[in-house]
Amino acid sequence: MNAALPVGLLTLPLLSSPLAYFVGRFSGRRHGLAQFVALVVLLVAWAMFVAMAGQLAAGETPQFEYGMIAFRLDGLAMYMAALALGLSTLAVFFARQMFQARAGSEKYYAALLALTGAMIGLAGARDLFNLWVWFETMIAASYLLVVIFHDEALNLEAGFKYVVQSAMGSGLVVFGIALILLDTGTLNLDLIAQAAPHSAMAAIGSALCFIGFGVKVAIVPMHTWLPDVYTQSPSVSSAVLAGAVSKAGLVGLLRVTAALSAAIPWADLFMLFGAASILAGNLLAFRQRDVKRLLAYSSMGHLGYVMLGIGFGLHAGQTAGVYGGLFHALNHSVMKGLAFFSIGAALYLLSRPVGREHGLRLDDLAGMARRCPLLALALTLALFSLAGIPPLAGFMSKWQIFAAGLAANSPWVTALVVFAALNSVLSLGYYLPVVNALYREGASEGQTRLPLPRLMAIPLVVLSFLIVLLGLWPDAVRWLVAPASVLGG
Amino acid sequence: MIWGLVAAFALLAVGLYGLLALRNLIKLTIALQLMMKGGLIAVVLAGDAVGQRGLGESLGVTLIIADTVAAVIGLALAVLVRRRLGSLDIEVVSKLRG
Repeated sequence: MNAALPVGLLTLPLLSSPLAYFVGRFSGRRHGLAQFVALVVLLVAWAMFVAMAGQLAAGETPQFEYGMIAFRLDGLAMYMAALALGLSTLAVFFARQMFQARAGSEKYYAALLALTGAMIGLAGARDLFNLWVWFETMIAASYLLVVIFHDEALNLEAGFKYVVQSAMGSGLVVFGIALILLDTGTLNLDLIAQAAPHSAMAAIGSALCFIGFGVKVAIVPMHTWLPDVYTQSPSVSSAVLAGAVSKAGLVGLLRVTAALSAAIPWADLFMLFGAASILAGNLLAFRQRDVKRLLAYSSMGHLGYVMLGIGFGLHAGQTAGVYGGLFHALNHSVMKGLAFFSIGAALYLLSRPVGREHGLRLDDLAGMARRCPLLALALTLALFSLAGIPPLAGFMSKWQIFAAGLAANSPWVTALVVFAALNSVLSLGYYLPVVNALYREGASEGQTRLPLPRLMAIPLVVLSFLIVLLGLWPDAVRWLVAPASVLGG
Repeated sequence: MIWGLVAAFALLAVGLYGLLALRNLIKLTIALQLMMKGGLIAVVLAGDAVGQRGLGESLGVTLIIADTVAAVIGLALAVLVRRRLGSLDIEVVSKLRG
């Protein structure tokens, strides 16, 4: 088996991360070169991804082994790699105008490349040691994305919360791994799955992993960092965090779930915490006046739908629910990516100083439809899709989750489906005022006559197209999501 | 062995309590370090107990690197907070709510 492709996909973004930094640092041409390097690296990575997707479709799994280190790009790993590459490529397009060539923005591209490599590594890791190392690398790279601009004291506060809670989550995962090692004598996920431990120690270890990875997914009691961080970090970072990093936490959790399936009642945990996240996210989003904060809380709710779908699948022992959950996770990346990119473009058009991200109120968006129709349309599509209005992407995946739940024929699961569907209607209550503001007459203060830069428009157009495409033709990504939903495969 | 695990969990508990109860940004970083050191003891002990000392110790060394990164970034942010706001008290810093 040819190991060059998987090794390349893993190491290329990581190794070229310092290159992007030094090129940007010493070129002195307003960081255009750093952006160019990052873009080239990601495009080469995409080429390798496509080649390996072909191999996977032909029935062979790209992998390599070196001593204890095993790296295998199975369905779930390819799914995660697609999300990581997709969001970072669009973020590279978006970032330059957003940062307006401010000194230090070349670090952003370096951190973004390192983050991409770490997420791919996490997805492909075949043992808990590597899983944790990549998880930690990912967290370390994402710190810089959050606090790259620290002129505002509020950014520092959000950054500190993020560092403390992420490190705490990673510490709990380490404890979990230690207990699992103590119980099974191995860290290899395949060997753990064969041993199928169900002792008390394995149960505590699994629970600690659930909490630790749950911090990154922002499952309900572990969510307190999320609104602050999504609001205070640059909108490009919020898009990457919501679109890719939270899904990476979920992939880590799913790896542990698949290996230790007998240790604790995973299905009940996923359903319980999923339902709690949906309710908490929706109720908290209602109170928000800051649009980015509203989107942050809605992000929590949507991860709840994903958890619920996966819980349905684990409960029934079928892949349909897991498929629905992962399909919704993919759609959530597209929708929330589009929403945050649109907010970033709106902040740019309002000529807010770079690094001042919070405090975008509904009134600030007034008249945006006349000012920049493309942006208003993109944000509207994203919000309608998040609310689950047919025929957009968000409706299709929610539908599949609900269908999988109803197929289980259990009264509790049916009640959860009804609960989630009602919550979906409830969420219209906070999305619609934003759309209303966009199409309201009259311009808000501070709106400039700047045109929307072309590089900023690219991600908006691409993601808007994807939302409509996935709504009309949900099977367009079946090749990517279906292999991923076979857990432990 | 069992006392080692007890010590590790005691460090975890002290660290978690510190994260909840302390108000100074530097003390919070110290609490985080205590928690991670508990994890360090746990992995090294677990590796030793199952006869894979190399595995446990290499995981431990990686953990040292990882928690140093967290400490460096946490302390760097604390320095910036102190410069900007003149205080390290979390009550003074904390403005984000809701």
